[in-house]
Amino acid sequence: MEMKLLTEHYHKDEFRRLDGYKKFGGYEVLKKALKMQPQQIIDEVKASGLRGRGGAGFPTGTKWGFLPKNNEPRYLLCNADEGEPGTYKDRLMMERAPHQLIEGMIIAGHATCSKKGYIYIRGEYNYIILIVEHALEEAYKAGLLGKNILGSGIDFDLDVYAGAGAYICGEETGMISSLEGKKGQPKLKPPFPAVQGYLRKPTIVNNVETLAAVVPILRDGAPAYKKIGTEKSPGTKLFSLSGNVVRPGNYEVPLGFPMKDLIYKLGGGLRPGRRLKAVIPGGSSAPVITAAEAESATLDYECLAQMGTMLGSGAVIAIDDSQCMVDMLAVLTHFYHHESCGQCTPCREGTGWLNKVVHSIVEGRGRLQDIDLLVKVADNMKGRTICALSDAAALPVLSFVTKFRDEFEFYVREGRSKVKGVSHAQVHH
Amino acid sequence: MPKCTINGKEIEVKDGTTIIEAMHHHDMHIAHYCWHPGLSVAGVCRLCMIEIEGMPRVQIACNTVVTEGMKINNTSQKVKEAVKWGLDFHLINHPLDCPICDQAGECGLQEQYMEYGKYDPEMAEKKVKKHKVVDLGPTVVLDSERCILCSRCVRFTTEVSKSNELGIFNRGDRSEIGTFEEKPLNNKYSLNTVDICPVGALTSKDFRFRQRVWYLKDAETVCNGCSTGCKVQTFFNKEGLFRVKPVYDKEVNGYWMCDDGRDLYKFVNREHRYLKASHREGSGWTQVIPGAAAKEAAAAVTAAGDKLALVLTGQYTVEEYEKIVSIFSKDLKTKKIYHWLNNKETVNSFDGLLIRGDKNPNTKGLLQTLQKHNISTAWSELESGLASGAIKTVVVAGPENHAFFKDIEEKVQLFNKAGTVIWLQAAKNPALEKLSGNAWIIPMKSYVEKDGTFINHAGQHRKFKRVTTVVSESLTLGEAAELLAGHQIMVKPESNLLVEADRQADKVTVEHRKKNEFVFKRGAL
Repeated sequence: MEMKLLTEHYHKDEFRRLDGYKKFGGYEVLKKALKMQPQQIIDEVKASGLRGRGGAGFPTGTKWGFLPKNNEPRYLLCNADEGEPGTYKDRLMMERAPHQLIEGMIIAGHATCSKKGYIYIRGEYNYIILIVEHALEEAYKAGLLGKNILGSGIDFDLDVYAGAGAYICGEETGMISSLEGKKGQPKLKPPFPAVQGYLRKPTIVNNVETLAAVVPILRDGAPAYKKIGTEKSPGTKLFSLSGNVVRPGNYEVPLGFPMKDLIYKLGGGLRPGRRLKAVIPGGSSAPVITAAEAESATLDYECLAQMGTMLGSGAVIAIDDSQCMVDMLAVLTHFYHHESCGQCTPCREGTGWLNKVVHSIVEGRGRLQDIDLLVKVADNMKGRTICALSDAAALPVLSFVTKFRDEFEFYVREGRSKVKGVSHAQVHH
Repeated sequence: MPKCTINGKEIEVKDGTTIIEAMHHHDMHIAHYCWHPGLSVAGVCRLCMIEIEGMPRVQIACNTVVTEGMKINNTSQKVKEAVKWGLDFHLINHPLDCPICDQAGECGLQEQYMEYGKYDPEMAEKKVKKHKVVDLGPTVVLDSERCILCSRCVRFTTEVSKSNELGIFNRGDRSEIGTFEEKPLNNKYSLNTVDICPVGALTSKDFRFRQRVWYLKDAETVCNGCSTGCKVQTFFNKEGLFRVKPVYDKEVNGYWMCDDGRDLYKFVNREHRYLKASHREGSGWTQVIPGAAAKEAAAAVTAAGDKLALVLTGQYTVEEYEKIVSIFSKDLKTKKIYHWLNNKETVNSFDGLLIRGDKNPNTKGLLQTLQKHNISTAWSELESGLASGAIKTVVVAGPENHAFFKDIEEKVQLFNKAGTVIWLQAAKNPALEKLSGNAWIIPMKSYVEKDGTFINHAGQHRKFKRVTTVVSESLTLGEAAELLAGHQIMVKPESNLLVEADRQADKVTVEHRKKNEFVFKRGAL
């Protein structure tokens, strides 16, 4: 069942304000952390086994350890450009507990020796920007930010930066470009941000949930945190459940939680008479799994990787038997075509090509060889570009086509959906 | 100094060298569009694929640094397949309008397709429509559909010309190169973007639609536009020269040249040249064969005695200066040799990249020759000599590139005072019609028609070879000096490779071209 490590007080309105947050033990961990050496904090986070919650699942403590040992100014960036279709956990976290994020960032700022941090929030989250800005104001007034935090001699400044609505700015180097005032395009790696990031200075980029999770880790200690979840995926995680379920929403569960329990118990199952057909386990970029696979899947990094998909940002999209996979893929390819930054050729041209081919199928102009063509094109987009958007566009295509090939073949042969009985064009026009 | 093996060949490279640089230095072939040795790494075309032993995926060579013991190959089936797909992605939205594209024949897409492509296209969808014939500025036209968005031109304006006019607008496959509002691509180096464009997206307004590149020959020479002395490549055929492009020279110009230098082929072509010598006696001009004119003029020169003066501009080769100065100072026994400096004010200016204020390629060579012969004269001595009648005959080695000699008319008036003027000049200039008294205009060879050496601002000897012959009967300065001194030499009308002098066909082409001038005129589309 749910395990509310982060979201324990989210239902209380006062938790959104500084005094309310303090009432429930807020900023106590910060006081403890400010007395620790930066390396001690990094070791503690390393020991906890915390993995990045933004999608890639990279160990956070290890990432912090990549910072060069010199006196260059460095930056801590919070990636709140939550753009992955299906994901809405960061929105909840910033809306219900902005101070939790701020506390986590101050601690992380101290651990990484940065004097300045930014929270990069997607432009569509306008009201969240206002909430976070208000919280920052409160924190500054209470001496929790700025010079000499709580008399510790440590300085840390924090600002909010609003994105302008590009999915690609959720990629860490794309976000850095955007923050630098440039066009939001990912940068070539190496050099990695930990060596040369924002303004060519060492930079750490972490997801909202990752930074917030630092607070309970330091509060309870790494061993206690490591006991939660599985061996390789410790801790709890927020899952944004959506799709054809009765009770969609954010659920915090320990990692390793069975997927069927999330859908059927917490999510209230599917609507009456419907059967589960497929699940996208980690945001739209994660390859889809079938209902049979979902039956045995657990929500942790290793199990899903074994199934050839990924935990990603934790957006579980349940698809029931009333959905046409071809129509769904058309929505996804449209999204990636629209969001490709256009820098690398395979992604710029490939996303457009995939989109056109899938649309020619749903418009009834498809050819049988188009199904194989989709696989070939997607195969050759994978791993050939600067960032992972190309993979993100290719993986759903590959998984949809290979796992639901019958639906695609039916669509091409009959010119209509196997599930809905009509064509996409008839539905949408 | 890490050692690595590329395609089975062991090579040693400097620390920090990327694989593509290593391959470039060792003349190994690797497909690439966005990488350019003179620009930063973009890593976007994804064509320079290589396989490194121990790595599961193919990597890009432009952003991978060579490490000790690396085993690299770019000839495996896996790499070829990756490049083939990279190329296919480039081509799916490319208009494939090669028959009407100016780049055809020297196009990166064509080259790579012949090597890695040759497949049946699988793209059955409609291509993306983008803007055609976008006027980027006074020199360059863009065709966005042909563009493969390698970003070389954008990086050039950011990193080299530092003028930041170009950018990539929009996203995904709607991306297009463009300029910002009210800020056209207008800088002194803008045409380099056309050179580095691997496809026919950027074309030069000056060159587009004028020749198919396979009808042009090319030869290297040195630009005579200023004292930098860039190494350049000229493209020509029997109709004359059509364009100039830079050639890599580590010490002088790197990969670039300025737009002014690219115009310098123009005064070389026949329509801008003196084809016959002119002699003015009394009121009218008569046309003479150049060699004969020089022989005729020799009488006036040898008779002048100490009233003879020689005026030199910094536009001839060191060898020619040596010849003419030694003949005038030894055989004709005059020390009245003057240096005509056209732009005293700007002579030492420099724009920080290539363009220098001294618009003569060989000022240093001239000064060194004069010094060698112990000649030190001031321009004022010439002026006073002409005023007092101490100078009665002037031989002028006029500027072949006279665009920067704004004072020609003024100088013509000055030299007219002498009574006898022998003007040696390659390119036509209307001011010379104002020569009065006993005057000769003798056609000279331009810089593309002779071998020689320029000494540039830094004292580097820039040797160059003859490119072609445009006016076969014209003389070099050395030959003219011999003839003027009364020496007998054989001026062999050089075997013109392609045209006999005054061939009727050529005139027709010139006429024809004049009719279509609106197409060729720079600045007009």
